[in-house]
Amino acid sequence: MSILDDRLSSAHALSQRQATKPRSGPPIRRAIQDFLLSDYFVLYLTLFFFITAAIFFPSLRNPGNIANQLQNMWPLLAVAIGQTFVLILGGIDLSVGATMGITSVVGAIVMAQTLDPSFFDRSPLWGTLMRPEGGVLAGSEWAVPVGVVVMLVTGTLIGFLNGYAITRFNLAPFMVTLVTSTFFAAFALWLTQSRNISGLPEAFLNLGKGDILSIYLGPKLTSDIARRDILSFITYPFVISVGLAFISQFLLSRTVFGRQMFSIGTNRRASEISGVPGKSVITRVYMFSGFCAAVASIMYSGRIGFGQPSLGGGNLLLDVIGAAVIGGTSLFGGKGSVRGTFFGVAFFVLLSNILNAMQLSPFVIDAVKGVIILLAALIDITRTRLINREQRV
Amino acid sequence: MTSLLELHNLTKAFFGIAAVKDVSLSINAGETLGLIGQNGAGKSTLVNIVGGVVHSDSGHMTLNEQPYTPRIPADAQHAGVAFIHQELNLFTNLTIAENIFISNFPRMGVLRTIDRAKIKALTGELLASVGLDIPSDTYVERISPGERQLVEIAKALYQDASLIIFDEPTTSLTARETERLFAIMGQLRAQGKAIVYISHILGDVQKLSDQIAVMRDGELVACEPASALTIKRMISLMVGRSIEQLYPKRTTSPTTDPLLTAKNISASGIVEDISFTLHKGEVLGLFGLMGSGRTELARMIFGADQFESGEIVVEGELVRKPSPRSSIHNKIAFVTENRREEGLLMSIDIANNISLVSLPEFARSMLQVIDQRQMFDSARETANTLQLKSGDIRQQPVKSLSGGNQQKVVIAKWLLSRPSIFIMDEPTRGIDVGAKYEIYTIIDRLAAEGSGVLIISSELEELIGMCDRILVMSRGEIYGEFTREQFQDERILRAAFREQDLPMMSVHDGQAKRD
Amino acid sequence: MQKQPFNVFRFFLNNSTIFLFIAVFIIFGLSSPRTAIGDTGIDFPRFWLPENILNIIKQAAVFAGIIGVGMTFVLLTAGIDLSVGSNMYLSVVCAGLLMRSSGLEIVPALFVSLLVGTLYGAFNAFCIVRLKIIPFMTTLATLVVGRGLGTALTSSQQIDFPERMNAFGQTMVFGVIPMPIVMFVLVVLAAWFILTQTQFGRQVYAVGNDIDVAKKAGINTDRNLAMVYIISGFCAGLAGFVLASQLGGRVDRSFGETREFDAIAAAVLGGTSLFGGVGNVFGTVIGAMLIQMVGIGLQFNLVNLYLQPMARAFIIFLAIFFDSLREANYKKLKRRFIRPVHSASSEARAADAGD
Repeated sequence: MSILDDRLSSAHALSQRQATKPRSGPPIRRAIQDFLLSDYFVLYLTLFFFITAAIFFPSLRNPGNIANQLQNMWPLLAVAIGQTFVLILGGIDLSVGATMGITSVVGAIVMAQTLDPSFFDRSPLWGTLMRPEGGVLAGSEWAVPVGVVVMLVTGTLIGFLNGYAITRFNLAPFMVTLVTSTFFAAFALWLTQSRNISGLPEAFLNLGKGDILSIYLGPKLTSDIARRDILSFITYPFVISVGLAFISQFLLSRTVFGRQMFSIGTNRRASEISGVPGKSVITRVYMFSGFCAAVASIMYSGRIGFGQPSLGGGNLLLDVIGAAVIGGTSLFGGKGSVRGTFFGVAFFVLLSNILNAMQLSPFVIDAVKGVIILLAALIDITRTRLINREQRV
Repeated sequence: MTSLLELHNLTKAFFGIAAVKDVSLSINAGETLGLIGQNGAGKSTLVNIVGGVVHSDSGHMTLNEQPYTPRIPADAQHAGVAFIHQELNLFTNLTIAENIFISNFPRMGVLRTIDRAKIKALTGELLASVGLDIPSDTYVERISPGERQLVEIAKALYQDASLIIFDEPTTSLTARETERLFAIMGQLRAQGKAIVYISHILGDVQKLSDQIAVMRDGELVACEPASALTIKRMISLMVGRSIEQLYPKRTTSPTTDPLLTAKNISASGIVEDISFTLHKGEVLGLFGLMGSGRTELARMIFGADQFESGEIVVEGELVRKPSPRSSIHNKIAFVTENRREEGLLMSIDIANNISLVSLPEFARSMLQVIDQRQMFDSARETANTLQLKSGDIRQQPVKSLSGGNQQKVVIAKWLLSRPSIFIMDEPTRGIDVGAKYEIYTIIDRLAAEGSGVLIISSELEELIGMCDRILVMSRGEIYGEFTREQFQDERILRAAFREQDLPMMSVHDGQAKRD
Repeated sequence: MQKQPFNVFRFFLNNSTIFLFIAVFIIFGLSSPRTAIGDTGIDFPRFWLPENILNIIKQAAVFAGIIGVGMTFVLLTAGIDLSVGSNMYLSVVCAGLLMRSSGLEIVPALFVSLLVGTLYGAFNAFCIVRLKIIPFMTTLATLVVGRGLGTALTSSQQIDFPERMNAFGQTMVFGVIPMPIVMFVLVVLAAWFILTQTQFGRQVYAVGNDIDVAKKAGINTDRNLAMVYIISGFCAGLAGFVLASQLGGRVDRSFGETREFDAIAAAVLGGTSLFGGVGNVFGTVIGAMLIQMVGIGLQFNLVNLYLQPMARAFIIFLAIFFDSLREANYKKLKRRFIRPVHSASSEARAADAGD
C-alpha cells in the first residue's frame, strides 16, 4: 500500500482534500447557488438592471437610445474578445489601448486624403509618407483596403512583440504590455504631433457607422425621414464584431488551438509535458489580442472620422477587463468564453448608459464601474469556492 | 528514564487509505529513536502528527505527561517539539541571525529597534554550540545545505526544544558535514534532549539510535534496542512478507531489441554518468530512495529538463536536444510522479485530459478543427480499456476522481498517443490495492505488445513483482543492476542503502561503485 | 548553494542599475550643451551643474521617488499597488478643499492629505487581506474609484490652492535645500530604518521570500501584508501634497495619472524584484533618479519631447529584463543538489577545511 507523498500533507493540501460537502441546505439556498453558477447569470443581471432602470429613466426606453447603445457595444466587444483570449491564458494585455491608438494613426497615414501642413509639418514622416496632398495612398482606390490591412498587420505585430518578450525572456505580461503600451502611445503622439488626422475616405467612415440595414419606427408622414429617426440596426461594425465573435468562439471551443489555450491557462507545466507548445500558443494569443485591438480601432476610427493617437486611452482598459471578468473570465486563467464576454460587454454598455442617464460626471461613472469590478471579482471568488466545494474529492 | 513523548494508538488515513494504523510509541528524554521504513510506510505521516502538521483521526499524545494536541506547527514549537524537515524552512534572503529570531527579535530603545548586538551574541553562541563557524550576519542563500541544516538545529535549540525530529537530514550533506551533524546530535543527547531520527541510511540509524522503530504499511512492526538489530534484520522487517498475490503474472519475456539507450548522461550535482538500455517488451525497474535522482533522470530522458553531457538513442536514432515534443514524436510517454501538478488539468473534464497529448491527431483541415466525435469516442474507448470508473467523461472534472482513477486518466492520455516507450514515475502512488492491480495488468499488457516500460518506484516489492530487470540508483548514480534471477529484496535494498562492507565515509564520497 | 567564484556577468547583473546610472550620467553630461564657469574659462557641461543635479533629485522625489518608496514595501511582498496615482489625487483634493473652505494652514492640510492617503491604503489592505481579492484587481478598481471620488468632490474643476501652498513648495530648508528633497530624504531614511532595523521590516522580507514558511514560522502574514499597503497609501498622500506644491498649487483632473507605473519602474530599476523578497529603498532612489535623469538629459539634448516617453519605456524594459535574468540566475543557485558538485570552489573549500 502506498501513501501520499509527505509534501502533500502540508496544510495547504489538507484543505484541498476535505471530504465532499453534499449540496445540502434548504431548496432556496440551492436555487441561489444554481443561479450564481449559471452561465447566463450575467445576462439575467443585465436584463434585470435594464428593466429596473427603464422604469426610473424613461429616456432609456427610447428606441433611438437603445439603437445607439447597441452601436457602442461593437468596438468594445472586439477588443474585449482579444483580451478574453489573453485572460484565459492567465496573462493580461495592457497595451490594447495604445495599439488602438497607433493603428488608428497608421491607418490614417495611409488613407488620409489631405494633411494640413500647419499640423503635421513637424512630424518625422512629413515630406515622405505624409504630404499636403495626403497620406501614402491618398486618393487611390486602394487606400481603404490597404489601410485596413496595414492597421491589422500593425496590431498583430505589436501583439507578436508582446508575446515574444513574454515567452522568450520570461517577463511578466503585466510589465511587458505596460512597456509596449507606453512606447506605442508615445510613438503615435510623435507621428501625429498630438493631432488627429482627418480627411479619411468615405468608404472607411462607412466601416465605422455605415448601415446595412436600418429601421424606422413611426408614421411615414412625408417621404423625407429625418436621419435621426432612422435607427441603425445592422451596421458594418455589427457584422464585423459579431462575425469576429463567432469565429473566436469557434476557435476557442472547436480547434486544437482553443483547447491548448485552456490547458496552458489551467496548468502550463502539465500542458508542456503533454506536448503543448507553450511559447507558440502564448505568442499567438497575444498576436490575436493585438489583431482584435486593431479591428476595434478600425471601427472607432471610422466612426469618429479621424485617426486619433489617443484612441483607446482613458479607462477603456477598465471597461474591457471589467466586461471580461463580469462575463465569467477568470483573472487566474483557464476559464472564459466569448459568449460570457458578450454579455459582459452588454452589461457594461448598459451600465454606462444608465449612469449617463443619471447625469453623473464621467469620473463618478468610472468610480461606480470600479466598484462593480470589485464586486465582480468577489463574485468570481465566491463562484470558484462554490465549485470547489461541489467537486472536492 | 522519564518518558517524554508518548503516542497512543495514533491512526490517520488519507482518502480512505490508512497512512498510520494504531501506532503507539514512547520516547524518553536523552534518547535517540531511529525511525525506519520504506517510502510510504508512514514514517513521515507519523512525525507530521507529532509536529502539528496534520491531525490524527484517532488516538492521542502526551508530552511530559500532559495532553499534547498541536493544531498548527507553531503549537508544537511552543511545546518544545522542533521539526527539522528535509525541505529546510529558512528564508534565503535573510541572515542566519534574522532567520532564528524572525518572529521574536530582542528589541531595544524607544523605537523598538532590533538589538543587533544582542542577536549577534546570541546567534554566535547558538552557532558555536552546533559547531558552525560562520558569521551570524551571513545570508542564508550563501551557505551550503549542510550549514543550513545546522542553522535549523540552532533554531531548535533557541526554541529550547526538548524533542527534535530529524527527517532525512543527510541527503544533501557532504561526509564532513554529516560527521559534524552526528557530533551535535551526541551533544544534544548529553543535554537530555530526545531525538527522533528518520533516515534511509541504516548504518547511520544503527550508530546513532538507542531504540529503532520499524514501520511497514502504516503499522509499527517492531521497536527494539539498536543493539539487538542487525542491518539484515532491519531490512527484512521493513520489507515483510505480503500475504496476498498482489501482482499479475507476467505473460511475456523481454526481447533483446534495444528500444531506448541512455549513454553517459550527466548533470553536475544531480546525476553522474548514467547508462542503460531499455528493450522491446521489457519492464525495467529503476529503484532508489527519495532524493536519489530518479525523477531528475526521467525528466532528462524525456526532455523536460536538460542534461549537460551524454546521449539518448531511440530505436537506433540519436535524439538531439530532447524536449517533450520531440519525445512524444519519438513515441515516448512520461507519467510523472505528481499527477496533480504535472500530470492532469485538475479542473478540466476527463475527456479533455485524455485527449491532451493526441490533440493534433484529431485535427482536421488547416484550421485544426477537432473532430469532437472521434476524439470523444477514442477517449471513451481508452477509458474503458483501463476500466475507468467515472460519470460522463465530458462533464466530470478529474479532480473529483479517486487517486486510482486519476492515474488511469494520466495513463489513458499517454496510451492514446500509442507510444512504444513508457516512462512511469511512481505509477501507483496514492492508489488503493485494487486499482494498483489493474495498473500492473496494464503494464504487463504494454510489455506484451512490444513496448518498453521503465518504472521508477521506491516500492521494492512492486518492482520485484513486475520487472524483468531492476536498476538501483543512489545519489545520482546507478549503483547496481539485478536480473530476475538475482531478485532478492535484501540485496537490492542494501544496494540502495549503499550498505556495502565499506566504511560509511567512502560511500558518501561516492567512490564505491558496483556490487 | 555553493559559493560562486567571481563572475563578471553576474556582478553586472546584480548591479545593472548603478552601471546604467553612471553610464547615463556620463553620456548625457558629455553630450549636453556647455556653459562657461565664471572667469576660469572652463566650459562645463550644464548637465553636471549643481543646480541641475538638485533639480533632478527634486523631480525624482516628487514624480516617482516618494511613492516609489511606498511601492517598494508592497513589491517586497510580491504584491502591487496600482492606485497610488489616484491616491495622490484624492488626498490632495481633500486637503485643498479644506484649505479653501476652512482656511486650513499648511501643516494641518498636509496632515489631512496623509490621513486620506493612509485610509485609502487601508481600504486596499482590507480588500486584499480580508476579502482576498488579488492586489492587481483591488488596486485597479480603487484606482478608478479613487479618481472618481476626487473628481466628484471637485465637480471636475481644477483646484487652485491658496498662495501659501506655492510658498510651501518653494521653501528652502537651511536656505539651500529644496523642501521636496528634504521630504524625500526623510521618507527614505524612515523606510530604510523600518525595513532594516525593525522586526516588521525583516518580516516583510520573509513574507516576500516564502509566505508559507513565514506562516509556519509564526509570522502574522495578514497584518504584515495589510501594513505595506497602508504605508504605500501614506506615501501617496505625502507625495501628492508635495507635488501639488510644486505645480504652483494647481491640481486638475489628471493629477497623478500614470504615476504608479513610474513608481514601479523606479523600484524595479532599483533592484526590487516583482517576485518579492528582494529590494531596498536606496535602489529605488537610484531608480527614480535614473528615470528623471534620462528625461532631463533628453531635454538638455533638445531631443524631441515626443521621444522621451519612448526612451523611458525602453529603460523600464531594460530594468525588467535584467530583473528576469537575475531571478533566473537566483533560481539556478537555489536548487537542491543530490550529490556534491565538482566545482573549483567546493574543492577549494574542502581543501581549506582540511578534508
